[in-house]
Amino acid sequence: MTMQRLFAPVTLALVLIFLIGPFLVIVAASFSAGDTLAFPPQGLSFKWILKVFTVESFRQSFVTSMFLAIGGTFAALLLGIPASYAMSRYKLPFAETVRGVVSAPIIVPGIIVGLALLRYFVVPIGLSITLALFLAHTALVLPYAVRVVSASLNNLRSDIEEAAVLLGSSRLGAFFRVVLPNIRGGILSAFILGFVTSFNQVPVSLFLSGPGVRTLPVDMLGYMEIVFDPSIAALSALLAFLSVGIVFAAERFLGFSRYV
Amino acid sequence: MFQNRAEALALALPAAIFAGLVFLVPVILLLSEGFRVADSWTLSAYVDFFSQPLNRAVFLRTLKLGALVTVCAAVIGYAAAFAIVSLPPGAKGRMIGLVVLPLMISPVARTYAWIVILGRTGIVNQALTAVGLTDAPVRILFTETAVFIGLLQLFLPLMIISLISALENLPKDAIPAARVLGANWFQVFRKVVLPLTREGVVIGGTLVFTGSMTAYITPAILGGSKVLMLETLMYQRVTVAGDFVSASVIAFILIVMSFAANSLLKSLATARNRT
Amino acid sequence: MSDTSYLSLDKLTLSYGKTVAVKDLDLDIRKGELLALLGPSGCGKTTTMRSIAGLMMPTGGHIRLDGVDITRVAANRRAVGLVFQSYALFPHLSVFENVAFGLKLKGLRGAELDRKVDAGLKSVGLADFSARRTPELSGGQQQRVALARAMVMEPKVLLLDEPLSNLDARLRLEMRTELQRVQKESGVTMIFVTHDQIEALALADRIVVMKSGAIEQIGAPEEIYNHPASRFVADFVGFENIFEIRNGNLVTPEGEVVLPGTLPQAAGLAWRPRAVLLGSGPWSARVRGISFAGGTREYVLDTPLGIIKAEVDASLPAHAIGTDVVFDLPVENAAVLKRFG
Repeated sequence: MTMQRLFAPVTLALVLIFLIGPFLVIVAASFSAGDTLAFPPQGLSFKWILKVFTVESFRQSFVTSMFLAIGGTFAALLLGIPASYAMSRYKLPFAETVRGVVSAPIIVPGIIVGLALLRYFVVPIGLSITLALFLAHTALVLPYAVRVVSASLNNLRSDIEEAAVLLGSSRLGAFFRVVLPNIRGGILSAFILGFVTSFNQVPVSLFLSGPGVRTLPVDMLGYMEIVFDPSIAALSALLAFLSVGIVFAAERFLGFSRYV
Repeated sequence: MFQNRAEALALALPAAIFAGLVFLVPVILLLSEGFRVADSWTLSAYVDFFSQPLNRAVFLRTLKLGALVTVCAAVIGYAAAFAIVSLPPGAKGRMIGLVVLPLMISPVARTYAWIVILGRTGIVNQALTAVGLTDAPVRILFTETAVFIGLLQLFLPLMIISLISALENLPKDAIPAARVLGANWFQVFRKVVLPLTREGVVIGGTLVFTGSMTAYITPAILGGSKVLMLETLMYQRVTVAGDFVSASVIAFILIVMSFAANSLLKSLATARNRT
Repeated sequence: MSDTSYLSLDKLTLSYGKTVAVKDLDLDIRKGELLALLGPSGCGKTTTMRSIAGLMMPTGGHIRLDGVDITRVAANRRAVGLVFQSYALFPHLSVFENVAFGLKLKGLRGAELDRKVDAGLKSVGLADFSARRTPELSGGQQQRVALARAMVMEPKVLLLDEPLSNLDARLRLEMRTELQRVQKESGVTMIFVTHDQIEALALADRIVVMKSGAIEQIGAPEEIYNHPASRFVADFVGFENIFEIRNGNLVTPEGEVVLPGTLPQAAGLAWRPRAVLLGSGPWSARVRGISFAGGTREYVLDTPLGIIKAEVDASLPAHAIGTDVVFDLPVENAAVLKRFG
């Protein structure tokens, strides 16, 4: 009988150690005072965490990643909100096709997108890598934006828009006065989801790197191949806390999990 | 008020055109490269690809690891999901949060940790030498085992979440009923739980399998060029040999697999909605 | 088009894609009247109402309001108000802001805005509710906010979609009185849509009975109730024993039956259960069912004319199930139907 009682907690403990343990190892390793990546860390120090902020290429690629995450998600929302509105409010002609096309990026592995853009946009037309990256990230986030915003719109009755129009508002005015305030949570959640997805994205950005243009994860991958010190551990730990922090805050202040 | 179809199209077209132009067109062009040799449509690129032993090996290895990870994820997933659903509500929520937490962390960070753990001077080897099981450090990194472990860790949460959802939908008294009728735990699992949670396992399994097949970072970091998987092979062929045809072939395989998985998931979802 | 017509629908045709919901509808509505559009779901009453509001564009015909053709005028520029069945209150705005919404769009601000909103809330009995948030309110209160919101705009026509259907019996009576009061006090032309004949009969000055996109009958409540024009209307207002007339005979499931007395030149006859004479008459029947309804007893009878439903005073002795009785269908107690079907 005790075997059964122990089963659950022991299983859970093992699974959690397996899932989260490695990450904790990284966090510990980043406090190492030594010069090589090792666990247990030889002594404790902040030096690697501080070093991360001084590496020029990390700073540059961090900015690039931020720009792509914020800008790409913003662009995805700009495209995705009207599309979601059309799909949830109207009997859209070719609705299934539109939905399929817009959601397609989820099905295709990112690395293929990056390669295709490189081959057909960057190389032949001379499109700048940054722009190609931006387009790729926007396309990547678009399906998530549409899905989350659509869910919010589907939960909002359309008769309040009709009521607003009958009270004298224009259609566009009704959207801003009555629809937007009520899907705010959904839009914010879509933004956060898009941001985290874009920021952590690697395969899409693999082929689309150039001199001075690289996303942070790709930069980290490159660095790893050359130098084997705890800075990557420190950087990983910092980024992870950033992601988790954002999602935690979203959950706390928005009830994030309701929308996705 | 929502009858003007021209309005609807005007709102939806920018997104559709954007996705079509930026995404569909280049990808289709890339795929078409695998079917053409000097202006004629042919499957010769595919024949060539699979006739090379290295490519076959990579393809089979990717399939094998995908399957292995999926099966292990299912077994471990069931155990973990069971344990979680029997928790009281507060603890259950926290546990689910902890399981989902790794999904927010970049795969680079999650995979990188294994280097520390599985490396020559890593924890595992330290433990093994300390206990006296080996004299020299065992090579775990850059083996299929390492990639397997990395992929399992990456995708296990997906399976657990799918199974939790399926287990919560089990009729409350199904298991006690079976026990009262004399079934032991193994029989309960095989005859009651498994059939009733079949859909959850299929959903989780599809997510895990596709994820493993289309993974890049984990095979790249933990397998390197010694243990190539489809995506790392693709990267290598392009950057080292400029071989876009092979890349196109691999891309096609990956897309077909991903698309099949997605269709399966969608049909399961609509089937569920109909019942 | 008559001169007393304030709102007129002229050969109005409304379609959803290929399905025609309303065909060639002609209707003249007088200024200040309380009109009901009555019919089962799918009859086109809601579609007609929405086209008056401008939420749906006609595919044919015209709508004229106070002399102006508003057929193509956008919904936000018609002087038409609408109280939705679900009330459609703005969840992110307070009661005050809901009622003020349309006024603000007209440019009202400050003291004048406050005055109008407060007056509007007071007129529906919600004077102290300004600061409340709409999800907190009960159904009846929400409806009154919706009413105030529409009325402060001083619309030429006020439309109401199934105003009483969501309310329980007690609230229904309250709201009915409320609506009548508001209408009489303001004199606004009010049109409401309902599937409930009791609501229509109780509230309206005139009732428009609709079926399958066309008008079956228009008339005052008493007219509709006592003199239904067709089988459909008779059935709708509670007649149970409805027969077609052919060759001067009553058409029954057994065949044509000669009814004593001369039948009028009509398409059909209908008797309310109360109008059936039980206890004397040329027809015999077997009692199939009986139910006690307080002041009356209702009988279901198996007769040569088919199933007949009769209603008699409860003080009379009851006829048990299986017993035989005689009955009559006096022609003078029947409603004469001009059309059958």
